[in-house]
Amino acid sequence: MKRTLTALALGASVAALGSVAAAADYGSFPGYTLKVKLIGGAQYEPLYAEIGKWEEMTGAKVEILSRKNHFELDREIKQDIAAGTLDWCVGSNHTSFAPQYGNIYADLRELIPEETLAGFVPLVLEHSTVGGRLVQLPRHSDVSNLYYIRSLFENEDNKARFRAEYGYDLAPPETWAQVKDMAMFFADPPDFFGFQFVGKDEAVNGRFYEMLVAEGGQMFTDDWAPAFNSEAGVRALQFFVDLYQAKAVPAGVPNYLWDDTGLGFASGTVAMNLDWGGWSAFFNDPANSKVAGDIGLVRAPKGSSGRRTGWSGSHTFSITETCDNKAAAASFITFLTDYDRQMIEARKGLLPTRTQVWEDIKAEFAAAGDDFMVMVFETFQASMAEDAFTPPLIPEWIEVSNVLWPRLQAAIVGDMTAQEALDVAAKEALAIMEDAGYR
Amino acid sequence: MTALLRTHRTDPAPFLLLAPAVLVMLSVVALPLVFSLWTSLTPYRLTRPETIGAFIGLRNYIRLFSDGAFWAAFGRTLLFLVIALNVEFLLGLGIALLINRITWGQRTLRTVMMFPMMFSPILVGFQFKFLFNDHIGIVNNALQSLGLIDFAIPWLVDGRLAMFSIIFAEVWMSTSVFAILLLAGLFAMPRDPIEAAKVDGCNPWQVFRHITLPFLMPFVYIAMTIRSLDVARAYDIVKVMTDGGPAGRTELLWTLIARTGYENARMGQANAMAYVSTVLSVLFTWYFARKLIAARRTMGGAE
Amino acid sequence: MSARRLKAAGLWVATFLLMLVMCLPGLWVVLSAFRPNREILAKPPIWVPQRLTLDNFGKIFGFGAEQVAIPVGSYFLNSLVIAMTSTVIALAVGIAGGYAFARFRFRGKNAVFLGLMLFRAVPGIALSLPIFMLWSWIGLINTRPGLIIVYVSLNVPFTVWLIDGFFRQIPASLSEAALVDGCTRWQAFWRIEFPLARSGIAAAGVFAFLTSWNEFALASQLTRSTASKTLPVGLMDFTAQFTIDWAGMCAMAVIIIVPALILTFLVQRHLISGLTFGGVKG
Repeated sequence: MKRTLTALALGASVAALGSVAAAADYGSFPGYTLKVKLIGGAQYEPLYAEIGKWEEMTGAKVEILSRKNHFELDREIKQDIAAGTLDWCVGSNHTSFAPQYGNIYADLRELIPEETLAGFVPLVLEHSTVGGRLVQLPRHSDVSNLYYIRSLFENEDNKARFRAEYGYDLAPPETWAQVKDMAMFFADPPDFFGFQFVGKDEAVNGRFYEMLVAEGGQMFTDDWAPAFNSEAGVRALQFFVDLYQAKAVPAGVPNYLWDDTGLGFASGTVAMNLDWGGWSAFFNDPANSKVAGDIGLVRAPKGSSGRRTGWSGSHTFSITETCDNKAAAASFITFLTDYDRQMIEARKGLLPTRTQVWEDIKAEFAAAGDDFMVMVFETFQASMAEDAFTPPLIPEWIEVSNVLWPRLQAAIVGDMTAQEALDVAAKEALAIMEDAGYR
Repeated sequence: MTALLRTHRTDPAPFLLLAPAVLVMLSVVALPLVFSLWTSLTPYRLTRPETIGAFIGLRNYIRLFSDGAFWAAFGRTLLFLVIALNVEFLLGLGIALLINRITWGQRTLRTVMMFPMMFSPILVGFQFKFLFNDHIGIVNNALQSLGLIDFAIPWLVDGRLAMFSIIFAEVWMSTSVFAILLLAGLFAMPRDPIEAAKVDGCNPWQVFRHITLPFLMPFVYIAMTIRSLDVARAYDIVKVMTDGGPAGRTELLWTLIARTGYENARMGQANAMAYVSTVLSVLFTWYFARKLIAARRTMGGAE
Repeated sequence: MSARRLKAAGLWVATFLLMLVMCLPGLWVVLSAFRPNREILAKPPIWVPQRLTLDNFGKIFGFGAEQVAIPVGSYFLNSLVIAMTSTVIALAVGIAGGYAFARFRFRGKNAVFLGLMLFRAVPGIALSLPIFMLWSWIGLINTRPGLIIVYVSLNVPFTVWLIDGFFRQIPASLSEAALVDGCTRWQAFWRIEFPLARSGIAAAGVFAFLTSWNEFALASQLTRSTASKTLPVGLMDFTAQFTIDWAGMCAMAVIIIVPALILTFLVQRHLISGLTFGGVKG
């Protein structure tokens, strides 16, 4: 109750300030039916409950043609491109996937006024740009930071033993080298693990890629030759290999995806977990999580280059070039990403893309006395502003990704050395880049 | 034999009666196959529709023949099929023999036996993904609670165990099909030869080996034929459980095709692979179906 | 006598227990449908359910606090209409085809038979994109008829073959007698042969229904919204990018399994005799 009141008060004060979003006019499109394809799933749904308000304001109807998880949606959109059935207007999109779709999506700089775009975090808009065109309007962002079980780090006995063994103080890790030490220190397989990571599909690629950057390496040279089989690449991959071989992570990680790591940390059997902001409320909810009330969070640690890992992506909305009423579509996606709508998503722990929402959501949680969520948003705001970077925004990324991750797994489970694995993957990636005409 | 059976060569009746069956197969299978044959001869990419017009001859196929990963997946698929079908057959036979001895309440038992057939392959995939999870999976937890192991078995990661796990899931889903068909065979079995053999002093194994099994063989072929028709259903299971991983250890043709075609959007290349896998499936079915037709001829005496 | 009965009962119980063990992985799914996620996925494991709940079903139907309802009603209806219609059509096509095989002699009979089988053997993954393209050109994507046609083709070969075997073992003299009595061939078929083939048709029908009811790979390609999505495709609604609601999925699984199980139990008697006589004899 108290929280709602604060939210209302804040909303009112912002409206009084004449915020762009709150004062926006969404136009009038009576009788028009807007066809959309949206990403589905529990954390995305609350936003769609708002669609009725837009319909009321504009007189248009929204027809949701499909609502499914992102990988299924990706497949459906590719099928639509193939069959020429792009007879819809708005689609959910993602910064990592957007480059694949060629020119099916319109440049939003021509459809959405500059003053609206000015409300967004500039870096995120930059990530949403492909080939100079703003093909998507960011809805919320993802980046990972390091969650840990606080009591483990505060335990005096642990501190003393760690100091004796490793020669420095046990404290929330600042570098990945420290994470490795601490993960091995805390691990007690098969009941307890020091760390964990997602180990397959595009997910493990992302983890490798950000570690590569943190180690000072790069995915491609400036003229698009694969360069990840460098010394930095081997160091990055070796981090995962060492943890796996030392059994400091669960034996099943090569088959883990996000749900496995999230549930694993919530089960209280993993000391440290690099994960998205979207999990924070879940982790701190006693109904779902055994570590509720005992969670620490620090920014993602640094690699040997001094740079932090910051693989990032944003969920976005795009408008098709074939859309028959781009004005209505633009109004719709502006509405879904406006101030009020982002506040709704931010309350669930999703990272906003509007500068103002970052500040106001922190104030709102602070006023409600929710120190944990304040910490979450402070930490993630810092990493979104300073650490975040996307994978190379080229259409071939997913394809390169698909030759890389099986090799990463091969090294992790011990079929190949890190160098061998990366060399083989680099050779295959080179063939893809050559086929695509980069070289 | 009879006037009814003998018809003139020009009688259109059988062709009219068969027309719907042939028509539906042509439109749902043959036509799409023609389409995919064409795309397998192009560099077709889903995300670039115009590439469907570029003819590149057999390049996709030639590339395939020198692709080690493809042939590894091919061999693995073959291994998967051979092991799964044989295990399903043996287990199904055992279950059928057992249930055949039950006289009272058999209907209930048969329904229980068919329980796994109610599970959609996609569901079976999720089910075993959770069962075999190394950390919270019920299998490891049971073994650990019973004190049999004090470590976590990486069911879905270890090279052999991962193959074992997906085969286990496939066997669980499909053994019932064998069991029900073989049970039907046992039901059809005349009692006299068995009684006679018993009188002659044959032991149960001899009776089984020399009388029951030969009689059952046609039913085995039926079961094999039916199963070989939709072995590719296992794609759903593998996709969910391991998606061919880790490090390609459970990569089957079907997962490889799906990834190449949809995620990488290289539909031309994927369709070339699909053609090879189609040939494999057709050969499997062809082998069993021939045996089936032959068995039917000897059993029924009809044409 | 009572010793014998005891032995029979013992055998039954032993067999039943064995079947139960075989079904365990499936029963675990059913049990999970009535437990909260936190309990199913606990470490250390919770063996004895502490709390049985209908919450998972409640969530599916939208009674939960925040969860948006899964449109399970329309999925169920789609599944039912699609599975039923495709089964009925496959049976009609199969009866016609089976009758042709059993009662007529014509050239290329075995080739046609083998052809039907081999077409069926083409893996779904090889067909998914081409069918998608063709269907989208003629507007069958995301429609019930689009999926029905595909399922008919999945089921026709097996149906033709089973029913063919059944007709073969009905003596032709029976319908000939009817012809002599002044029936047309059409009447003879419906009055004499069709009733005798009932078991075979029922068996083929169950197999066809189960195949259509549970099919996922093609349905996930050809359906998109509540206009045509079937129950197995609806299972994917429980997966999001970062999460899988396993308890919810189990509850949905129960909704899928129960009707299929009831149907199977009801036609159990026909099933065995249908397979027996249709399969090989004839």
